[in-house]
Amino acid sequence: MSWLLPLLIATPAAGALILAFWPRNRADRDAPMAGLVVSAVAFGLSVVVALASGTEAGFQLEQERVWIEPLDVSWHVGIDGISSPLVLLTTLLGALCMASLLRGGGPRCGGERALVAMLLLLETGVIGTFLALDLVLFFVFFELVLVPMWFVIAWWGDPHDEPGRRRAASVFLLLTVIGSAVMLAGFLLVYGYAGTFDVVELAERGGEGIPATAQVVAALAIGLGLAVKTPMWPLHIWLPDAHAKAPTVGSVLLAGVLLKMGTYGLVRVWLPVVPDGARDVAPYLAVFAVIGIVYGALACLAQTDLKRLVAYSSVGHMGFILLGISTLTPAGINGALFANIAHGVITGLLFFLAGALKDRYETAEMAMLGRGLYGRSPRLAGVLAVAAVASLGLPGLAGFWGEMLTLLAAFDPIAELPRATYLVCMAVAGVGAVLTAVYFVAVLRQVCQGEPAPSGASSTAAAPSVASVVSAEATRYELVVWAPLVVLTVLFGLAPGLLLGVIDPSVVAMFGGGA
Amino acid sequence: MSPLWVVAVPAAGAVAVLFGGRLRAPFLSSVLGGVTWVLGLVVALPALGSDQLQTYAHASVPTGTTEVTLALGVDGLAAAGVLLATSVAFAVLVYSVAYLAEDPRYPSYASIVLIFTAAMNTVVLADDFFVMLVGWEVMGACSYFLISHHWERQDARAGAVKAFVMTRLGDVGLLFGIFVLGLAVGSFRISEVNAAAVAGDLSTTQATVGMLLILCGVVGKSSQFPLHTWLPDAMPGPTPISALIHAATMVAAGVYLIARLFDVLAVSAAAQAVLAVIAAITMVLSAFFALAQDDLKRVLAWSTVSQLAYMFGALAVGGYGAAVFHLLSHGAFKALLFLCAGSVAHATGTTSMARLGGLHRRMPVTSVTMLVGMAALVGLPPLVGFFSKDAVLGAYSDAALHDVTWTGWLVFCAGLVTMLATAAYATRAWVLVFTGPSPEGGRVPREAPMLMRGPLLVLGGLTAVGGVLTLAPQVLEPGATVGELFHPWLAMPAAVAVMVVVLLTYAEAWRAEDRDPSGVLGRWRPVLAREAGFDPAYDRLFVVPTHWSAQGVVAADRDVVEPYVRGSVSAVRGAGAALRWAQNGNVQVYLTVVVVGAVAMAVVVGAVVA
Repeated sequence: MSWLLPLLIATPAAGALILAFWPRNRADRDAPMAGLVVSAVAFGLSVVVALASGTEAGFQLEQERVWIEPLDVSWHVGIDGISSPLVLLTTLLGALCMASLLRGGGPRCGGERALVAMLLLLETGVIGTFLALDLVLFFVFFELVLVPMWFVIAWWGDPHDEPGRRRAASVFLLLTVIGSAVMLAGFLLVYGYAGTFDVVELAERGGEGIPATAQVVAALAIGLGLAVKTPMWPLHIWLPDAHAKAPTVGSVLLAGVLLKMGTYGLVRVWLPVVPDGARDVAPYLAVFAVIGIVYGALACLAQTDLKRLVAYSSVGHMGFILLGISTLTPAGINGALFANIAHGVITGLLFFLAGALKDRYETAEMAMLGRGLYGRSPRLAGVLAVAAVASLGLPGLAGFWGEMLTLLAAFDPIAELPRATYLVCMAVAGVGAVLTAVYFVAVLRQVCQGEPAPSGASSTAAAPSVASVVSAEATRYELVVWAPLVVLTVLFGLAPGLLLGVIDPSVVAMFGGGA
Repeated sequence: MSPLWVVAVPAAGAVAVLFGGRLRAPFLSSVLGGVTWVLGLVVALPALGSDQLQTYAHASVPTGTTEVTLALGVDGLAAAGVLLATSVAFAVLVYSVAYLAEDPRYPSYASIVLIFTAAMNTVVLADDFFVMLVGWEVMGACSYFLISHHWERQDARAGAVKAFVMTRLGDVGLLFGIFVLGLAVGSFRISEVNAAAVAGDLSTTQATVGMLLILCGVVGKSSQFPLHTWLPDAMPGPTPISALIHAATMVAAGVYLIARLFDVLAVSAAAQAVLAVIAAITMVLSAFFALAQDDLKRVLAWSTVSQLAYMFGALAVGGYGAAVFHLLSHGAFKALLFLCAGSVAHATGTTSMARLGGLHRRMPVTSVTMLVGMAALVGLPPLVGFFSKDAVLGAYSDAALHDVTWTGWLVFCAGLVTMLATAAYATRAWVLVFTGPSPEGGRVPREAPMLMRGPLLVLGGLTAVGGVLTLAPQVLEPGATVGELFHPWLAMPAAVAVMVVVLLTYAEAWRAEDRDPSGVLGRWRPVLAREAGFDPAYDRLFVVPTHWSAQGVVAADRDVVEPYVRGSVSAVRGAGAALRWAQNGNVQVYLTVVVVGAVAMAVVVGAVVA
């Protein structure tokens, strides 16, 4: 069974390779369908993998081969309850993105073959990151994601703003590359003392052999690299522009899975490999995390562009996830991992919706969308309302449980951490949660409610336009593409045990005695 | 039968109604309301008056610490709550068929009402804090969507946002309170937390902190001071849902939750005192606000706030049975009053009392049923309100005269003042709407259609005969004896005093030129009509600073981006130089430089240059 994981990683890569050699005259037309088939196969494989790995603690389906002997680097992959939900999320969102490309959801500037190939390459990198159990391998996959993402934003981004999208792509690339460089330095430092890149072995040692100062430095370096990706305030500044300029599929994958690589790395590498360093850094992480929660929410309150708003909302949501990790408790890590999935599902849905609106009205400026969507396109507005309410963390929908657990963990962090600091963080995060509710109802008020005005007119102008009524409604095809995300939002909200039952055993086994 | 059915059936039904089309929605939703009501009876009737919580644990969710359990429980209190929620929901769904007969948004409306019913049943039946919280918040979301049902109206949009945000503010406290109690006891099961409180395993500090935090959520949900300003603004919602959500059930869920946690509250004298002070302030304040309002629904909304405070006052001084009695009684007569107001709005198109008058002859059924409701509200015998209000005042007087506590005196005095003010505003409202000359012009009002009259008559009947619960107090408070909730020496003088105020108000209405007896308030009238300026004050204190911070954050981000971009470029150059240097230096120095450089890039370049 150990061939399953390499097969899963290779599937999208092979898809990208095949597309490269596809007959040129029909490549652009066939590419989305080919991409859908490949990503659907990858999704099917990941389901098989998830079922085969079960809910037992510890790594399943492991495969280990010597890769670069002189450097002590090995090809080591494996899956457990921490990574399997993320792999499923990646392949699901990948397949849904391809499905949306198939019918009109994509950018209208051609080059579909290259776009699909880039997306498949990106998917390979993300899956590889979630499965890698060797620090260098992890780094390689981590980096593999950057380049396709640069192309996706810079080539297929906002068609109305070419310099803007190139700049956004370059800022994204630059900041994350610098972050990764710092992270690699941290990995090398760990290797310098521990003599191995193997994550499993390093985790078993629990930082043994790495002196305290080196652990702190390594924790800072690795943490910083991952924090850029997550992103943690104040390293988030690449994110709003990247999201606002990226095409819909880029935004969905960026928010849905790329950000998760940062938080996943914190749980997979940062906590177990340099635990003493992490413990020293954790309170600072908690403080930065809650600043991000409030900062992101306040920034959302002042946004006028729907895509930018959803992007900033991610800063706040990732803040909750970082807060959960910083408590070093199983509850906090469970919460962080749950919130990872919930955010991927809900924000993925929100970006699909924002993209659908942008496709229709050529803008995501909320004042230009023309109000009263409940009346003009009730289905689209209804899905938007569900997604907004889920994203603000309403209990009974997926957004709640992860954030609740991170707050619960902040109420009761491990004994070595300063509890008073965490209580303040918890209270401030609570205020952030209220602000989150404020801006999402403000969005619904401005976009979905009110007297319909013609699209493109400012919200103060009245006079409903009949012409924009028909084309504005979501098509049946779009609803089918979004449906899995809506269903998962409700399902994980009503039955959080479905997800926690998978995550919890691995988390408790790894961090049960305190991280 | 597991009580899960009274949650699952309306929830599943909501989906069917939503996708069933406009034509089928009224019939389908009414039938589902009826089925839920029958299921409610099946669940509730065997448990009425029981003090044993029959629990049903369905699944447990690992969290990494104390687990969350999908657990429900039925006892006498839960049974009473289910009966109230499913009965009013059924009445409202039937009433809505006629009330919203022309409304194209009926499927979403009825579907949300059904989800709401499921959520309220969840709150009532939950035996786990998080199950309760799910119901609690889903109710809040349904309330938000239903208030903004007429989303093209500015007041409906604003009211919905205000209601949602203010209740969510309180709910943050509720969540933290759950953390405190749950982790102190080692279980999120409500029954186990109560058991720990009874057994003395919960320290006074834990109980105080936990209950004060939970009170935040309760104050928000039940619209009590200082979060009292949202309920009147929620009135642009369709009137049937005002009856269901903003009178009989959701806003009363706060009372229900405190009653559910009565054992924990009993451990903390401080929490009881805070609750008593909040109740005393709220009941008087909102009763006086009700005196000077022009909108009939707004009068009823302030009245609801005031009456909920009555129940909180009773819980604060140990009057459990009295609070539960008034909860049920108020649920019946206030739902009746709102449905009557809806009938008025349906016939005339307005609820502004300045534009109403003389409806008694045109709408006799509405007039008489509303009179019954108002009489119950002011507490005239033999209506249910007379007995339940007497039970509450009796609990107050026990605390004041027997136990001689300051909280007892506080709520007793406040309760008496509120009682008199209630008599005045209720009389004023009925007189202004149903007597005097009809306003000029406009359409000729007609009596409500059968589907609306039916619920009015049923609720009117219940209001008339509900007082018999005084003879079966064990239904309200297990172990209570007959007569325990009735205090004739207090009830009779109170009824006389109320009657005097009613007559005085009526006489003043007769005398006054504009027929409005609130003229006697003099220069206080505009102050009360403006509701003492809480809204503008909150605006300046909270809304404006939040707005400025948001602008500041955006400005900061914008000004930081540029330096960041420039900073990253120079950092890359610097890193290149560092790498060359590191080839013959040692790794640690190199690392330190990179780390320091990166931190400097993030903080110094970003913040200082900006």
